[in-house]
Amino acid sequence: MGKIWTIAKKELHAYFSSPIAYIAISIYLILVGVTFFFKIPFLFPKENFFEAREATLRPLFQWSVVLMAVLLPAISMRLFAEEKKDGTLELLMTMPVSDFQVVMGKFVGALAFLAVALGLTVGYVILVFALGKPDIGPLLGGYFGVFLMGGGFLAIGLMASAWTKSQIVAFVVALVISGFLLFADRIPELFGLGGVQLFNLLSFNYHFESIARGVIDSRDIVYFLSVMALALEITRYTLESRKWR
Amino acid sequence: MIRVEHLVKDYGHVKALNDVSFEVEKGEIVGFLGPNGAGKTTCVKTITGYISATSGRVLVDGLDVATHSVEVKRKIGYLPENAPLYLDMTPREFLEFAGEVRNIRGDALIKRVKEVAEQVGLAERLDWEIGTLSKGYRQRVGLAQAMLHDPPILILDEPTTGLDPNQIVEIRQLIKSLGQNRTVILSTHNLHEVVQTCNRVIIIHRGRIVADGTPKEIQAKHGGSKTVVLSVIESGKSGQEIKALLSGVEGVRSVEGPTGGVDSSLTFKVVAEDPTEVRPRLFKAISEAGMVLTELRDESLDLEAIFQRLTMD
Repeated sequence: MGKIWTIAKKELHAYFSSPIAYIAISIYLILVGVTFFFKIPFLFPKENFFEAREATLRPLFQWSVVLMAVLLPAISMRLFAEEKKDGTLELLMTMPVSDFQVVMGKFVGALAFLAVALGLTVGYVILVFALGKPDIGPLLGGYFGVFLMGGGFLAIGLMASAWTKSQIVAFVVALVISGFLLFADRIPELFGLGGVQLFNLLSFNYHFESIARGVIDSRDIVYFLSVMALALEITRYTLESRKWR
Repeated sequence: MIRVEHLVKDYGHVKALNDVSFEVEKGEIVGFLGPNGAGKTTCVKTITGYISATSGRVLVDGLDVATHSVEVKRKIGYLPENAPLYLDMTPREFLEFAGEVRNIRGDALIKRVKEVAEQVGLAERLDWEIGTLSKGYRQRVGLAQAMLHDPPILILDEPTTGLDPNQIVEIRQLIKSLGQNRTVILSTHNLHEVVQTCNRVIIIHRGRIVADGTPKEIQAKHGGSKTVVLSVIESGKSGQEIKALLSGVEGVRSVEGPTGGVDSSLTFKVVAEDPTEVRPRLFKAISEAGMVLTELRDESLDLEAIFQRLTMD
């Protein structure tokens, strides 16, 4: 555990010593704030926060999820691709750490970054509390759901990053997989396909919605944890395969 | 200490290592010598556990690298080729990270970082961003990282490439002093580096070991036949007469020549059992016959020529 945390700290340090962290967090906070003032077509076409006159952070969470599908691949893309390109992966992997510890360290570092970004939305929470009396259940559920979902995106991004030396390629691959998983529940509708149940089960959005309603169902949690575990295991395997090539 | 057994590594159709075996004892400084692409780096990467061999195995203190990789990695300090580093960190941050990964923490870590930085001459650059440091300083950061945990084994892949001559001398001295109480494997394509720093040389070519021993042993084994080259100024005697005279000297096996020299001298190649013993006798024979000797030297190959011969084709 100590080593995982040491690597996580190194990643966190790398984020905050480069502009990308600040840019991503700024974009996120600004765009999330937009839900207070504008209607968002496709997602919430009806009204903005003030018009709805309802003290809820639900639009914020739903919009967060879409933003994260784009922003988190940009955060995770460097994790392995950069080390492969600079040759530092060899340095890291020849220190007394296991492949598993390296993967987990990087994942935990990225999760910590996500936690910081989410933590900074506290201003909006205060605003909503100042204006009315929001339900605590959906609020906590919303944060929990966004964090779980973000963890899924980061694990997928980490996996894509282990596949290539190019950060751009890692970003695009992660974006495509994340986008597909996020909106899988809309595919049957859009393309007139059957199998609604199956697509729902695959979809981030479907599982997120139920958590965000404040209903904690273990199946939804298991779903997100399974996505993370699978992506991280593929990452570890990819890393190990360097030995045989 | 390190035992490499029948190592084979296939990269697709290319055999980077083809049945490489050797053993390194504690306290040896071994130079891996070979032209670029000979398999040195592949061999080093296999010993450090970064890659796995196609067949064969590496044992470090009796532990198989393939199955006990973390334990083995603890015993090794490794400087990879080109000294890759995290450019956005300072040497201090990087060394503290490396220390924590190796379970050195707190005051002990701070003290050790300072110690190592002084040893490699990095103290006044500890808080610069690594990305802004020159190649020489980066190499020192890499070296500092490798020796941070005081490992019994140091593996350095091309530690002096890209350095200027003064830096090269410094780093070599450092390696030599480090090697006094630990095992060092140094990979290089530079012959002088090996002669100056190592007490044993392993020459690798096309994935195979073509020579292994001290520089002297290699010279003795691969230095070719023991030939003395000898020139005399023409002195009325014919070449054949001189040849007969030389052949009669005790210890001489055969004489080739004469060939004409640049001036009016004649040159012979004398093959002898033991050149050092025969040379004075040759000298005496020549002077007693009233001739003037202008050249008398050993023609056994030097290490450079041996290296070239072993790694040609």
